[in-house]
Amino acid sequence: MHDFFKSFRFKAILVLLAFLIGVMIFAVTKGGYSLSGASVVNTVTKPFKKLSNTVAVKIEANLDKITNATEYYNENQRLREEIGRLNSKLSDFQDTKAELEELRKFIGIKEKHEDMILSEPCKVIGFTANDPFKSFIIDKGSDNGIEPYCPVVTAEGLVGITIEVSADTSVVRTILSPDLSVGAVSTTSGDTGIVEGSISLAIDNNTKLIHVSKENNLDLGHLITTTDKSGLFPKGYSIGTVIETGVDSSGLSSYAVIKPAVRIEKLSSVMVITDFNGKDSSYYEN
Amino acid sequence: MRIKTTREKRILIVKTVFRWFLYLLIMLICFVSMNAGTFIKPILLIPVAVCISSNTGELQAAFIGSACGFMIDLSCDKLLGYNAVILCVFCVITSLCYSRLLRNRLINAIIITALISLIQGVLDYNFYYDIWGYEDSSLILKHYTMPVILLTIASAFVIYAVFHLINKFLMPKPHLTIEEAIKNFEE
Repeated sequence: MHDFFKSFRFKAILVLLAFLIGVMIFAVTKGGYSLSGASVVNTVTKPFKKLSNTVAVKIEANLDKITNATEYYNENQRLREEIGRLNSKLSDFQDTKAELEELRKFIGIKEKHEDMILSEPCKVIGFTANDPFKSFIIDKGSDNGIEPYCPVVTAEGLVGITIEVSADTSVVRTILSPDLSVGAVSTTSGDTGIVEGSISLAIDNNTKLIHVSKENNLDLGHLITTTDKSGLFPKGYSIGTVIETGVDSSGLSSYAVIKPAVRIEKLSSVMVITDFNGKDSSYYEN
Repeated sequence: MRIKTTREKRILIVKTVFRWFLYLLIMLICFVSMNAGTFIKPILLIPVAVCISSNTGELQAAFIGSACGFMIDLSCDKLLGYNAVILCVFCVITSLCYSRLLRNRLINAIIITALISLIQGVLDYNFYYDIWGYEDSSLILKHYTMPVILLTIASAFVIYAVFHLINKFLMPKPHLTIEEAIKNFEE
């Protein structure tokens, strides 16, 4: 064993370890962009990851049908009843809609999301291995105009934000993560808060609205949307609905459990908002 | 011991190249499969690194450990180099243990895979969840870290079997060259 520690091989291994630590330190300073080597590996393995993910998703979907058949049957019954209730509300909605159209003519409310510049549709080519917050990889990167900290959305609502961008791929951190804070407001009651994930809720694919005033009017079913306070997200984009409310353990504020508008674990494609009104450019200057 | 002829030396080189090609192909397959689907997966690259290190020298083991570690960093979205450092060190230790102490047996591969998985999993939990003070961070241990460790150990049985098959047909058997035989005879 003494011979080994005096040998050239041991010195070579020490040099290799020093290089690896240097790579680690350099990776920290990259500010969300991947290293060149990692970018090349991501580009080369992108088609293999796509194929592998497609196969795994198909297998997962088929297994899901078998293991959750009872749950789907019960959900089917529940949805049938809800359709019946919604049909009865539809007639009221038609009247309200007509009234709103008249109001729009008078105060000139613009169509939602006209100010946003969206990327091409991005396919989800893989999910980060063993991540409790379901971050995933998309098949577009800096070559397609995507930068770190761009909002990622679908037609249903907000999904998350890009955190690591290479030439051809990007990693998206979802709203289930406690590392992502989104300024939010209830469209019904006007109560504001911050949407921030938690580990216990992420297991059930839910997230949390925190720092809500104790004197709030939040109720189940309220729609939560983004505010434009941070400059990271465009205003008025749907995040999810309230499914539970309560008082924080400190007793100083309230919280609400939010069911995201998007089923993150079933995502197959998303879009990235590359520009919008109110975007804070300082995030992108590093 | 049999004496190696020139023809056998050529066959040995071809077998060695093909063996390393298969090692790299298995590493690539494990790397690509780790990003497929949202379910909990074993970190297949750990038993792969152990199986390769058990049959190679310390320097090769260090490079294999670094490569597998980089791949784990890319697929698990960890700081680049973090798992590379961990696996580099453990692969060198594995190579040293196998060359001086351990025999190439399934039980040894399972024990070493279990040790490395446990240390890697605990370090991952500590540096990525525990120290940041997340609420209910112990749920990560219960729902992710421990199942991943157990799955990794279970997958080591399959990985070892695959590598055992490759090495059975492609690993060189002990031979002498003509020059080594003459030198031994003269001594």
